[in-house]
Amino acid sequence: MISIETDTEGYIALKTTINEANLNNSEKFKAELIAILDQYHKKTILDMSSIGYMDSSFLGALVSSLKHAIAIKTDILLTGLRPDIHNLFTLIRLDKVFKIYKNLNEATAG
Amino acid sequence: MPAKENKILLVDDNLLFLNIMVQAFKKTGWECYTAYSAAQAIEKLRLNVPDIILSDYEMPGMNGIEFRQSLMKLDGLKDIPFVFLTSLSDKETIEQGLDLQAIDFIIKDTPINVIISKLNNILLTVNKQRELSTLEVQNAAKALNIKSIPQKTPQINGISVDFWHHAYHDVPGGDFIDFIQVNQRFTFIVLGDIMGKKWMAWYFTFGYLSYVRSAVRFATLSNEFSPANILQKVNSIICLDDVLQDILSSLSLILIDTETGIVNYAGAGDLPLLHYKAHDAILEQVSTDGLLLGMFADVAYTEQKIVLNKNDQLFIFTDGMIDMAHEAGVKTDYEGFKQKLAGLLAQGINFDEIKKRLFNLSPDIVVDDQSIINIIKT
Repeated sequence: MISIETDTEGYIALKTTINEANLNNSEKFKAELIAILDQYHKKTILDMSSIGYMDSSFLGALVSSLKHAIAIKTDILLTGLRPDIHNLFTLIRLDKVFKIYKNLNEATAG
Repeated sequence: MPAKENKILLVDDNLLFLNIMVQAFKKTGWECYTAYSAAQAIEKLRLNVPDIILSDYEMPGMNGIEFRQSLMKLDGLKDIPFVFLTSLSDKETIEQGLDLQAIDFIIKDTPINVIISKLNNILLTVNKQRELSTLEVQNAAKALNIKSIPQKTPQINGISVDFWHHAYHDVPGGDFIDFIQVNQRFTFIVLGDIMGKKWMAWYFTFGYLSYVRSAVRFATLSNEFSPANILQKVNSIICLDDVLQDILSSLSLILIDTETGIVNYAGAGDLPLLHYKAHDAILEQVSTDGLLLGMFADVAYTEQKIVLNKNDQLFIFTDGMIDMAHEAGVKTDYEGFKQKLAGLLAQGINFDEIKKRLFNLSPDIVVDDQSIINIIKT
């Protein structure tokens, strides 16, 4: 569900492998992401370009993972959000909670 | 042909046999997709979840039993009905499979039409069982007289309120609605959506609703009529409640003041509401900046003042109204919903007719609870 793309000193870059992010995979996704956060304990940049639809269960799992990241004093940055998903984040103000970048280059520069 | 198109994943390393099966299943109205190995099946299952899996036993790499064992470790996939298709009929293999909660074994020589009938019957039984479990919980909820959706609308001077709600798959879910009439002058309107689906989300609606009701009542007892301040208090309490830890909810809180005709609105991670200005025949988005309830304890909420003129309307709704399944997959389309609604309102179509034309959708298209509240200044 999540593949590890790059592991550098400053950050770890991840990529989702699912298309439809919903109740069927939200818990599993959260468990995988939290395990990665705990293991690597560094800034996590998550490329979500594989995701075409995200339901509220999955958004909840993503926010819970961010809360976990903040609690262990790290962060989750998002990249590759498709326009529909980015628009949803803006509509429900999740763009204020997550740092969102176009791609890995922008995220690492920021 | 099944009433609703059943979806099956066929797993077999014999591509010719797989093709024959696909043709036969499709002919009888099934939606089919295939994998020629267990590893490929697991990859495909991550993207696309079927109603049932029919898997060969003897395959190179991971065999059918190992495939089933892998699925048993995956939360979202272990409960999909699983049937073995095998040329083997030895007792040991069957016993091993049944230990792994495989629903049935079908011998490969069985005529394809018999295989399809058998799978149809399995799905009918599984669905019947699910319906019975649902019915039991529904009856228990009814007996306890707990409701997260009101039975009637409030009577407010100069304002008409109506709503429409449809539970996803007819199972109560995370949407909740409430109307709190403080007195002749003030009425609060509440629309929330617990992030999640079906029973698990539904269970938490009562915790949230209790806090919202209490916060409104305590506030109004102290002559406090600010939806933003009330939301802030609700959020602070929820963030302290261990039971609701990691349970997030959106909330739209609206206060109607019949004396001034002003509506005050504060939102927590909710979709922007829509304001139809009758005089100009335009539908405008009204946004606030509040974050989801339960996210962070120390966030501020602000409110919007909306002046309703004669025949103006407000529409407050949850994401189930804008998330729809299409052939290419599920899509969130706030703008599309807004445009359709604007088109109907411009023709002078009323809420009852809008319900029929815009909300009455096929169950295959709907992906979540759907709730919408309509407020009209009369």
